[in-house]
Amino acid sequence: MKKSAVWHLLRRNISKAQLIGYSVANLIGLCIVISAIQLYSDVSSVWDDEDSFISRDYLILSKQVSGLGSILSGDPAAFSPDDLEELKAQKWVRRVGEFTASNFGVGASVEMGGRGMNTAMFLEAIPDEFFDVKPRQWQFIPGESQTVPIIISKEYLSLYNFGFAASRGLPQISESMIGMVPLKLSISGNGRQQWMPAKIVGFSSRLNTIAVPEAFMEWANANFSDRPQPDPSRIIVETNSPGDPAIEQYLREHHLEAAGDKVDNGRAAYFLAVVTAAVVGVGVIISLLAFFILLLSIYLLLQKNREKLRQLMTLGYSPAAVARNYYIIVGSNNGAVLVGAVIAMLVAKHFWSAPLGNIGVDPAAPWWSIGVGTAIMALITAGNIAAIARNIRKTFPRP
Amino acid sequence: MIQEITLTDTLPHVFRGMEKTAPVCNSQVWLHEVSFRRPGYYMIEAESGTGKSSLCSFIFGVRGDYQGTVAFDGRDVRTFSIDEWCALRTRALAYLPQEMHLFPELTVMENIMIKNRLTDCRSGEWIRRALERLEIEGKADSPAALLSVGQQQRVAIVRALCQPFDFLLIDEPVSHLDSRNNSIVASLIDEEAQANGAAVIATSVGNKINLPIQSTLLL
Repeated sequence: MKKSAVWHLLRRNISKAQLIGYSVANLIGLCIVISAIQLYSDVSSVWDDEDSFISRDYLILSKQVSGLGSILSGDPAAFSPDDLEELKAQKWVRRVGEFTASNFGVGASVEMGGRGMNTAMFLEAIPDEFFDVKPRQWQFIPGESQTVPIIISKEYLSLYNFGFAASRGLPQISESMIGMVPLKLSISGNGRQQWMPAKIVGFSSRLNTIAVPEAFMEWANANFSDRPQPDPSRIIVETNSPGDPAIEQYLREHHLEAAGDKVDNGRAAYFLAVVTAAVVGVGVIISLLAFFILLLSIYLLLQKNREKLRQLMTLGYSPAAVARNYYIIVGSNNGAVLVGAVIAMLVAKHFWSAPLGNIGVDPAAPWWSIGVGTAIMALITAGNIAAIARNIRKTFPRP
Repeated sequence: MIQEITLTDTLPHVFRGMEKTAPVCNSQVWLHEVSFRRPGYYMIEAESGTGKSSLCSFIFGVRGDYQGTVAFDGRDVRTFSIDEWCALRTRALAYLPQEMHLFPELTVMENIMIKNRLTDCRSGEWIRRALERLEIEGKADSPAALLSVGQQQRVAIVRALCQPFDFLLIDEPVSHLDSRNNSIVASLIDEEAQANGAAVIATSVGNKINLPIQSTLLL
């Protein structure tokens, strides 16, 4: 009876309709916010996946080849140090890696089933951190290593298997088989020539080239080249905002080309990020409005109970003691809204998990979105409690 | 613990500019230095509209619309913090406002317990006997709204006594009581004031409480 007397007094003017209105509005707002965050983290989990439809954020750039200039001058369109500096300064660029071309003659021969094949070819090297594959044999120590490891584009193997081999009646070969094919590289230049055994150790879906370790390239260029190293004609860029329209604009303005349709693929990711931001924004606005509804509702309640609050505090009740009753209302209400929103989000997640699973998306755990929802609710509750405490202290009867 | 309440050159804002006219010029309180010490029984006599309820509110610290100072043991009450006021109102200063401030939707017992719970000062037995003595024990479970003004006044007196006090401020405590009930109330207050070694400051516009008043001041 003792405790309930104050509660009995203060709860009289609580408007159930206002509380329900607030709860529904806040539930909707919070639901939208955490569901959008959950959907975003579910969908963006594909970014960790190398072969996902939203491709990893790498662009391979080259200068457009146009007109007769390059033929006449014999100078391929290359990136000067100034070009690279300018590119590195762009906001969407995280890292830039240069393709180092072989500046010497390269030939390869392969013996398969008694039939030999010879071809002139080229080699390129890029920094290791830009590879999507990291084979164990991927290293070359000049003077020690006998075999040159090579990574080629997955597309080359496809070209051979489904184009060349099929039309010539040659056997199709798998990735593991190709590693066993004995290759010999002929390296020549600067008045010297050397045969070296080589081995294909990996396939890259990112890089459309025949790649060797940088250490090999440096060693070979130093020993077999009598010309100065030209500027790189291709570069690889790791971007932090795939699909950013600024990338496309920059490429257009500087007459650059991106290999494949990476820019287009990146748009899907960019679009997803923009849509998520918009939806989260709407949810936050609804939550904010709900916050103000509750605040107004509480102010109204405090206003209606002002005389009672004053009388209680005249009797000796502290502001904290009378405010506690309102904290309980706000806290339990907000807690219930949070629980409701999390349940609604989990139900929604259940519904979208199946279709996302069909396209190979592995849903993320809900901790992140629940954490954000809890943080938002904690902030709203703290705001409510601060407002109540301030309001009641202002009512305290003192001279 | 408060030993002394002092008013120095105190004047309600509503009387500003009326210093030379009645009732201010005839007052023994406004614009004077007045001290109340415990133990002791003080009576503030006043006509309507001279500010006696204002005086009680100033001393109890629920209003600040005055000039001059009100001090407890030499310390200006305007400097007290919220916590200090809460402590004073539960342990040192008891107050019966003229309007009584009962919560009409609560029962008589709930109205009393809402104070007693805070101070944990009186036993259920003491409260029951006090209600009996004031002849309202049968109303314990009735909502305060259904009581006559005289009955409400007695409930408010019991509630005001549900705390330890150094000073008891009673603003027209017996205005709606007959002389028999006046004496019953006075004896209860007298007992409790003596038990606490407290001072009582009572106001009256005519119907005075039957306490052995030692000092009467004209407001």
